[in-house]
Amino acid sequence: MFDIIIKNLTQRKLRTGLTVFGIALGIFAVMVMGGMSEYFRLHVDRTFDLMTDKIQVWPESGFVGGTLDESTIRDIRRVPGVSDSYGLLWMPYDMESIGLFGSYVMGINPDKQETTLQDTGLEEGRYLLPGDRLRAVVGSNVARQFNLRAGDELEIKSRKLQRGSSITHIREFTVVGIMEFTGTDYDYVIAIPLDTAQDFYDIGRTVSYILVIPETGVDPENLAKRIELSVSNIKAFSPQELREQVAQSLVIINLITLSAALIAAVIGGLSVMNTMLMSVSERTKDFGLFKAMGAGTRDILVMTVGESALMGILGGIIGIAGGSVFIYYMNEFLISKGVVLFAITPELVVVAMMFATLLGTVSGVIPAYRAAKMSPMEALRYE
Amino acid sequence: MNSNGAILRIRNLSKTYMQGKIPVHALNDVSFDVHKGEFLSIVGVSGSGKSTLLSLIGLLDKPTTGSVFIDGEEVTKFKEREAPKIRREKIGFVFQHFNLIPTLTAFENVDIAMRFARVPKSKRKDRAVELLTRMGLADRMKHKPSELSGGEQQRVSIARALANHPAIILADEPTGEVDTKTREVIVNLLRELSEKGQTILVVTHDVAVAQKTDRIITMLDGKIESDVKVTGKVKLKRAG
Repeated sequence: MFDIIIKNLTQRKLRTGLTVFGIALGIFAVMVMGGMSEYFRLHVDRTFDLMTDKIQVWPESGFVGGTLDESTIRDIRRVPGVSDSYGLLWMPYDMESIGLFGSYVMGINPDKQETTLQDTGLEEGRYLLPGDRLRAVVGSNVARQFNLRAGDELEIKSRKLQRGSSITHIREFTVVGIMEFTGTDYDYVIAIPLDTAQDFYDIGRTVSYILVIPETGVDPENLAKRIELSVSNIKAFSPQELREQVAQSLVIINLITLSAALIAAVIGGLSVMNTMLMSVSERTKDFGLFKAMGAGTRDILVMTVGESALMGILGGIIGIAGGSVFIYYMNEFLISKGVVLFAITPELVVVAMMFATLLGTVSGVIPAYRAAKMSPMEALRYE
Repeated sequence: MNSNGAILRIRNLSKTYMQGKIPVHALNDVSFDVHKGEFLSIVGVSGSGKSTLLSLIGLLDKPTTGSVFIDGEEVTKFKEREAPKIRREKIGFVFQHFNLIPTLTAFENVDIAMRFARVPKSKRKDRAVELLTRMGLADRMKHKPSELSGGEQQRVSIARALANHPAIILADEPTGEVDTKTREVIVNLLRELSEKGQTILVVTHDVAVAQKTDRIITMLDGKIESDVKVTGKVKLKRAG
């Protein structure tokens, strides 16, 4: 029956081509939007994988900038069950453009790099060492954005408001190491020694947030609550709580991106249905003839749904291929801007392919049912 | 087959259509038997019920009352979903307009009938080649209907009707679209098939076609007006 299906489709090349193109566009949208969602999901997953053993303590006002005094770290250390705590300073690299994407300067105590970055390897160079001053270790996206190699100089600006005017300080930092791609926030990071960062940004001994490592066997949920009760003006998030909060934001992003993609794909599906309805109507007499020859309902359904499913599969393959090429070149382009936005995962490809096939199949069901239920007598008389 | 040797038995067959609220009796209490290998023609004026009779025998439509027995089996009692099986196993159709699938070649048009009967591919190929060769179309197998003459198309259509070894061939005006010379070829072909044991029912307006059959049933107003064996030239009343 497959050869008959192919013949029927190739008989009306332009119409079939346009319908397949319609589905391909829908699946292309699924790939691109889904690729974005997948990237966010993977990014969050990987970032949180580096933090599963830590509680995060934020100032009640938010975490960018230096708003937690280092004395808070000492207060937290005194809470029973805390093994260690240390602060990180996060400042936007480009002070004039604070957006969702972009690089960050991370002030970190060199002693705490391993605890923070865990087993993140280096593409080249070394990590920060105690005593380093104007030295930086950069994430892979930063390195690609500025085309950096170990030994290169990287200019970092800080800006301060003084008597109504803005004063900009510029310092050159020597890149001593480049981290491998992690798919986490650390790809966008320029890590410099914490004390250097505090001096450079002139924010005293403050940090953006504090990471707390619980003692072995201590329940992080419980410890987070105790930290909040013991230390004022802070909010403590256990790893689980933080993951849930971010997951909620991801749901919204996923809903927006995937519903846009779904609309595009459903439009593709409607075009299949329209094509199949026309095709079935044109072949009314053929279906009557098939029935007169002894074709059963199943034969007609297989033939008609087979055509629409095949169009779905073809559209899926083209859409996935097109989407993958687009994502590849977009990522190549975006990486030069220091951002990665899309990820193609096997799950995404499988879901897109299944969706395309399902779309084609389901869109063909109504026309197929109409064809299968035709009275052979009336179909044969149809002109 | 039935004990009296009839391959087809029609008993009290009636069909009433509703035209709005007005009942139209297209077929009214028709009964007759057809024996194996018989070449029978059904003639009558337009609206006499001959095509309705053919579609009821072919299970393309359901009778209002009455029964059709093929090979001793009452096919009219089968449910709608069982009709395709009866059609592909017991009946072969030949239509006035040939009704070949325009996108398929002559070979594929014969082959597709066997696909519905789930005949294995190798057997389908042998059978299609055999039938088309028998029809004198050995060199036209790869041609599409648009590349064939009317006579050739009708011969493909007859080959297709024979594909699944049906008990009966139902031919609705098989010579209605062909010239006189081709008509002779088609009728002789059907005659030859009947001589080899194939039962054939032909609905026709054409007296010359009817004259070549073994038996002529004349329909009028949904009833059988006459049922005669052809022994020589038969004068047909009101046929055509």
